[in-house]
Amino acid sequence: MKEKFARWNVLFLQYLKRDWKKIIFWILGLGLFSGGFVPAFVEISKGQGLIGMYETMKNPAMISMVGPTPVETAIEYTLGAMYANEMLLFCALFAMIIAALHVVSHTRKEEEQGLTELVRSFQVGRQANSLAVITEILVINVLLALFTGGVMISFGADTISAEGSFLFAGSIGMAGIIGAAIALAMSQIMPTSSSATGSTLGIVGLLYILRAGTDLSNVGLSMINPMGWTYLTYPFTENNWLPLILSVAFSILVVIISFALEGGRDMGAGYLPERGGRATAKKSLLSVPGLFIKLNKGVMISWLIAFVIMGAAYGSIYGDMQTFIGSNEIISQMFTLSGFSIEESFTGTIIMVMIGLVSILPIVIVNKLFSEEVKMHLSQLYSTKVTRAKIYWTNVFLSILAGIVGIFLASISLGGTAISVMGENSSMSISDFLSAGFNFLPSVLFFIGLAAFALGFAPKLGKVIYVYLGYSFALNYFGGILDLPEWFSKTAVQSWIPRMPVDKFDGVIFISMTVISSALMLSGYIGYRRRDLVEGA
Amino acid sequence: MEKIVSVQGLQKKFGKFKALYDVTFTVNAGEVVGFIGPNGAGKSTTIRTLLGIINRNAGDVKIFGKDVWKESLEIHKRISYVPGDVALWGNLTGGEIIDLFIKLHGGGDKNKRDYLINRFELDPKKKAKGYSKGNRQKVGLIAALSVDSDLYIFDEPTSGLDPLMEAVFQEEVEKIKRAGKAILLSSHILSEVERLADKVVIIRQGKIVETGTLDELRHLTRSTVTLETQGNVDKMRSVKGVHDFKQKDNQATFSADNEFINDILSEAAKLGVKKFECVPPTLEDLFMRHYEV
Repeated sequence: MKEKFARWNVLFLQYLKRDWKKIIFWILGLGLFSGGFVPAFVEISKGQGLIGMYETMKNPAMISMVGPTPVETAIEYTLGAMYANEMLLFCALFAMIIAALHVVSHTRKEEEQGLTELVRSFQVGRQANSLAVITEILVINVLLALFTGGVMISFGADTISAEGSFLFAGSIGMAGIIGAAIALAMSQIMPTSSSATGSTLGIVGLLYILRAGTDLSNVGLSMINPMGWTYLTYPFTENNWLPLILSVAFSILVVIISFALEGGRDMGAGYLPERGGRATAKKSLLSVPGLFIKLNKGVMISWLIAFVIMGAAYGSIYGDMQTFIGSNEIISQMFTLSGFSIEESFTGTIIMVMIGLVSILPIVIVNKLFSEEVKMHLSQLYSTKVTRAKIYWTNVFLSILAGIVGIFLASISLGGTAISVMGENSSMSISDFLSAGFNFLPSVLFFIGLAAFALGFAPKLGKVIYVYLGYSFALNYFGGILDLPEWFSKTAVQSWIPRMPVDKFDGVIFISMTVISSALMLSGYIGYRRRDLVEGA
Repeated sequence: MEKIVSVQGLQKKFGKFKALYDVTFTVNAGEVVGFIGPNGAGKSTTIRTLLGIINRNAGDVKIFGKDVWKESLEIHKRISYVPGDVALWGNLTGGEIIDLFIKLHGGGDKNKRDYLINRFELDPKKKAKGYSKGNRQKVGLIAALSVDSDLYIFDEPTSGLDPLMEAVFQEEVEKIKRAGKAILLSSHILSEVERLADKVVIIRQGKIVETGTLDELRHLTRSTVTLETQGNVDKMRSVKGVHDFKQKDNQATFSADNEFINDILSEAAKLGVKKFECVPPTLEDLFMRHYEV
């Protein structure tokens, strides 16, 4: 034992010291996200809201995304049932992924960075680090569960019982521990930290898809899926603690297997051989655009997939929209505008919301250039004949391209799903969705312009763009309910743009916003060409 | 003399690639062993095996008479290690990291720590992400030298240090050597090895190609002789043990086998020696000879 785990406690305390900011952010962020939406759901459940939502959630598309509910009739669909039905799987998924990333970053990644080598030269057990990380994860997830449960109870909402709240929160915490255990196992098997991360996320994704299939065909089969052990606890309805027991047993088993595997491996190596990389660069890499595409490939693909899923999620609501929106005053206030079909007014709002989210990806890409700069990855590039103009514009154009593809995928996936669930009742065509989506292109360009401008003049402020995006997103989302003064709403850039298909396309606004955005990009270039490059700060 | 490190027939494979074929050497108490070889020869792999961070495929590897894989904890109580590229947590300060390392080692000397921080001119209040390569290296060195160990393993410890700090390091190493500790020093800075090491181990492509004291190794290699005579120096060309003979007027430069030095001298004396210089091979010459084969 001593040989294996000596001084794990020192490492554990060291982790708490190193990570305390991250831990606080993790627990508060995920805890509030998981437990804090109770008041919003109380609003939704008013009137016929619960019945409408029950019908919506019966849709196979919704079941495949958020899982089933054990409730048999609409009358029994309480606030708690709805909350667990809609929130639990997603929150658990987040908890799982965050914990998995954390484990890999403290195990294989530290080995690759050379930190472990020094630590291991001391009287530190071969597996002390793994034990320290798993203990840290355990502590974090227990705190997370207590906090989430506490938040939920604090609202004192009807049918949100204490037992249900802690079962809900406990399921999320256990999901985190399962994710950590899987990541720890993959960290022993895979040859590099990136493949450990990749394979863990792959397994999590696979479990998610498998449970979508079994949820639709036979829910009993979801019970043998670790991903199923989260929402199958059915908090607030059946309050089934058995899946949590399975989770505990599964996690302990996987952690023990991981420890056994770790005992026999070399530091910095896994059980699978490292796949030989390419000896020579592919032709597609050998240019500035090629390099930037390669650098952003992972983040682009994952965001684009997220846009497609998001479009499908919103699109699936169209089928039962009449019952759902008609029954709830607040929601109908958000989405209805007189003189148009409910589907059309919903489209106007939801497209704006979706394109707001699509704007994240281009900002990420523009900001990536600065993070590469700080990491000194570009030092050697700057000293070649590659000009700053080439670097800057390649990056900006790549981000514009990502924005365009993002709008296209989000709109077409929303439209495609909506039309297929509406069937013959559909009054809209796919081109309505596409034109509504691309109508918001100037807002995406505007965010790119802002990010590019920051890149040129105050690159450290690049992150502030996300804050502005969040601000304008919230303003648009809730603007309909809050009845804000005109000037205040107009501080959100999207509110300048007419909402198609309800409103008419406005060419003047479209063009002038595009021109303003281009001017921002151009002046950003002037700044980028002149400023000192920040390296290693 | 007490054997501190003993490596016998060490082999290590990474998948199909055989990194170490046959590594055999020893380090005794009070001895500095220079461990040299080109990049990729297996120096760091050997050192990681010694630390029990990676496991060997064959061979017998012991430190303090204990198996390096099975009893690594016992061994680590009495060793200090500095890698060639000290990686640190960016958000901790150098001082914090040094203290942590000392704690993990198990008790060090606070005064020694402060003395070394002072000697190496390190600012311990700076966050590690702000350190240059040389300063990160100092953190590793200070942590390793602040604690009391019986074996010190240095893997290119001075990479990135300026010459002044290199000299400070060498002085500190001489101190621990005088205190009777064993030191394994892997380095590319051959002058450093030449100054500090009692014994040199040369590794090439996973095999030890040469072991011995510097004098022993030198003996195997030819010395460079510069000779100026009154008579025609060309006569020296055909003397046994003379190689690579080059002549300019009455001055000649050649390499000489050490066992024929006496014959060469007496032949030269017949011509009337005006000047005779004999330079033993530097470690660099030795190294290059093995490197180029």
